[in-house]
Amino acid sequence: MRYDSIVIGAGHNGLAAAILLAKQGKSVLVLEKNAVPGGMAANGEIADGIQGPQLAHLMGGLGKSEIDALDLKRHGLTFAAQSVPTIALDESGRHVVLQGSEASFADGGAHPDAAAFKTLRDRMVRFADKLATLTQRPPPRLDGIDLREAASLAGLAFGIRGMGKTDAREFMRVLLSNAYDAILDEIDDGVVAGALGLDAVMGGHIGPRSPGTVLTLMYRSIGGGARHIPAGGMGGAMRAFEASAQAAGAEIRYGAGVHTMIVEDDRVAGVLLTDGTEIRSASVLSSLDPRSTMMLAGPAHFDAEMVRRIRKIRAKGCTAKVNLVLNDAPRIEGLTAGQMAGRLLVAPSLNRMELAFNRAKYGELPEDPILEVTIPSLADPALTTDGKHILSAVVQYTPYELKDGWSDKTRAALANAVITALARYDSGMAGRVTAQQVLTPMDIETLTGAPGGHWHHGEMIADQMLMLRPAPGIDRYALPLGGLYLCGASCHPGGDVTALPGCNAARVVLAQETRRAAA
Amino acid sequence: MTVIKPTRTDAKAVARGLIASPFDARLRPFSLYQDWMPWAGYVSPRRYDTVETEYFAIRNQATLFDVSPMHKYRITGPDATQVMNRLVTRDVAKMRDMRVGYSLWCDEDGHVIDDGTVFRFSPTDYRLCCQEPQYSWLHDIAWGFDVTIEDESHGIAGVSLQGPTSFAVLERAGFAGVEAMKPFDMMHADGDTLISRTGFTGDLGYEIWCPAEKAETLFDRLWPAGSDFGLRPIGFDALNMTRIEAGFIAPGVDFQSSHHALRPTRGRTPFELGFGRLVAFDKGHFNGRRALLEAQKRGPRYVLVGLDIEGHKPADGAFIYHRKKKEAGHVTSALWSPTCKRNLAVAELKVPFGTDILSDLWAEIYHHKEGKWERVMARATVAERPFFKHARRGATPPGRY
Ligand SMILES: Cc1cc2nc3c(=O)[nH]c(=O)nc-3n(C[C@H](O)[C@H](O)[C@H](O)COP(=O)(O)OP(=O)(O)OC[C@H]3O[C@@H](n4cnc5c(N)ncnc54)[C@H](O)[C@@H]3O)c2cc1C
Repeated sequence: MRYDSIVIGAGHNGLAAAILLAKQGKSVLVLEKNAVPGGMAANGEIADGIQGPQLAHLMGGLGKSEIDALDLKRHGLTFAAQSVPTIALDESGRHVVLQGSEASFADGGAHPDAAAFKTLRDRMVRFADKLATLTQRPPPRLDGIDLREAASLAGLAFGIRGMGKTDAREFMRVLLSNAYDAILDEIDDGVVAGALGLDAVMGGHIGPRSPGTVLTLMYRSIGGGARHIPAGGMGGAMRAFEASAQAAGAEIRYGAGVHTMIVEDDRVAGVLLTDGTEIRSASVLSSLDPRSTMMLAGPAHFDAEMVRRIRKIRAKGCTAKVNLVLNDAPRIEGLTAGQMAGRLLVAPSLNRMELAFNRAKYGELPEDPILEVTIPSLADPALTTDGKHILSAVVQYTPYELKDGWSDKTRAALANAVITALARYDSGMAGRVTAQQVLTPMDIETLTGAPGGHWHHGEMIADQMLMLRPAPGIDRYALPLGGLYLCGASCHPGGDVTALPGCNAARVVLAQETRRAAA
Repeated sequence: MTVIKPTRTDAKAVARGLIASPFDARLRPFSLYQDWMPWAGYVSPRRYDTVETEYFAIRNQATLFDVSPMHKYRITGPDATQVMNRLVTRDVAKMRDMRVGYSLWCDEDGHVIDDGTVFRFSPTDYRLCCQEPQYSWLHDIAWGFDVTIEDESHGIAGVSLQGPTSFAVLERAGFAGVEAMKPFDMMHADGDTLISRTGFTGDLGYEIWCPAEKAETLFDRLWPAGSDFGLRPIGFDALNMTRIEAGFIAPGVDFQSSHHALRPTRGRTPFELGFGRLVAFDKGHFNGRRALLEAQKRGPRYVLVGLDIEGHKPADGAFIYHRKKKEAGHVTSALWSPTCKRNLAVAELKVPFGTDILSDLWAEIYHHKEGKWERVMARATVAERPFFKHARRGATPPGRY
């Protein structure tokens, strides 16, 4: 049979695209090389048969309109905890709780930077709201206008005109500047600044001082920036995507790696699987990055300029994952049970983050790791048995290419660095660890196919965002080869579990393929 | 005040300025005018003797023009045919081995980057010969394919032997087998010398290529062989006259390489340059193919046409008007052709001029007359190109004359 569309990859974006296409009555086949749905947000075995969020662990950017459009609630999307507090761990023990725009000490005491933090964060959220409308559709067109025009157009599109004079001026002032300057203009460097800065850089090969990190901070603040813990781990949420796709009529095949694409008459006509199976379709949506997608189709089908642009997309992963199985719940002095179940940050200051980035740039293991930690089993006890717990740590600033090379030894050293860092807050940490799983950027690349193991499938920074994402000329999901589209994190508006690239791409495909059929 | 004195180490550095061609030691003594010009980083002759003498030698005798400055690239490997076909618009898979093909190549917008000749030795071995440096572009084109690209520009010397008696010169020089060569054929001689029946004069002629270090030996073999056949070295000016007569276009003159044009509107498609027949849409994807399909559908925005201009004032750079009023285009190359006895021009016209509107065209020519500028409006008539055609160009075996 010939499908209307084949979707490569059953990550959440591939599934989101499949849902929207299938709901419009299209015959859709999703091909996934792994055995489970979710890609970077899938559950996997951490150790000892315990399943949990292997990579992504917090749901933040999935908006209400996508949840509705994708029927996710109806198909089982539930949360074990919503709008969890962010705990900025402090080495002196005076941890800070951030809930929305409120900052206070964990013991309830007033934080001296609370007012400044509120001003800064509220402003970011306001700016982010202007961006939000831009994320739900293809980026503004660039054809035929020069960059200056484009900048003013982008300005218009952001709706800065409606902001009022003070906000508009501030927006333009900080838009392309760096998080370090923008944050330290308002508050002193420390754990609160670190918490804000981490939102700007998480997942990227960028530091708080990298230009453009205010824009990334705004992106992360879309919808208020709240984080939730899905029931059943991130993989639980992914099962909702899967169920919705199947209910809409899409077919999903696991263990079905795409080997090459079939190209006929300058159009993609289907795919060949690694096992040799040939499957035909009128269009192909790839949730992989542009380079992997291009290689599946063959660079021969792309003009040299496009090949060069695609080759030059920066996608060097800088984030690792360390998952620990603990025989007991960790305890940090001064934190309540509810706070322990939240989002724990080890980001002592922007300066320490920038130094950590420096080490990564030169291929060194983190010494003073910057961490985002969750213990999902606290809010969701069904994840484990026998009183065990999963500790999930995102290790920002872990180099893709380690100077000493990635080996069991260097992996163990990374896990040790994480455990040592956590032991500063919970002295019993090391004794509780019964098993550990280390996924370096290289491992993440192997597991998911993402170039460099990059969180966003390609650096999220101003020159690779909006109409420049993933590269000029392919910003509107369609690739130059007829019938071929991108639908994953590499496209506008980028990575994180938002389902936006998948939804936007599906809408473009529906419009274009309908137009083609009509012609 | 600090005084900075140049030191010895400042002076050392790398070689600067123009470099001499491998034929320099042999050719330089012929220069009566010391009239040199830069060409691709080399010192190149504008003329040795008067331009008229050299021009008539091309059309009536035999001439040597040093083409060593041309950029030459060798593309070898299992994917060489695929890479060449990805580069150029024509289908090199249809070329036979040991043949040369004229071609153009385009950017992703379907705008011509450069034109040149493709030498096909075998399906896995090609040489590209062109005016503009293409080394990095070739690497962009070849990314993902199994080929090796070598810049042979300095390693290979070349001389263009053109004119009615050129075959006789080669024969006298003892190159056996040349008589059997058809236009665009090539053959190896003495192992490392390559002879191709190619050139830019529209006449009988050959290009001879050899390793740079053997250039003088080659010259010493050709020169005495030419003594009875009027052989003389020529410079760019005379060659350019015959180039226009023969209907060839030059980058930077008749069109702007899209890699140099800063203004996006300056690029031209092969259709607009009159080379639609060299675009092989049926060979699969090649660079710019999709844009060219669109361009073909849309039709040309400009056309290059040949013009016969009334009078004898060369129309270089002249504006072309319709009904003496509306600007229709401009002349890109022009000369008064002594052989055709016609005042000729190549002009770029803005469609519909040159396609639908062909009559009532006028060239506004300014000429300098003893300290005074004069302006004439000369009638321009669209004429077929090439302006100069001669049966001896294609005759095989060629005549000795
Ligand atoms: C360590 C880490 C932690 C993260 N934490 C968070 C977080 O807490 N919150 C958050 O919102 N985001 C997080 N992210 C980012 C987020 O997970 C990703 O941006 C997002 O999941 C990308 O979704 P996707 O569908 O575009 O691509 P992916 O999820 O990467 O899906 C691509 C799919 O394609 C499949 N595939 C690849 N090649 C082939 C092939 N040849 N044939 C068939 N299938 C193929 C892969 O197996 C994969 O399933 C994290 C990322 C990392 C690396």
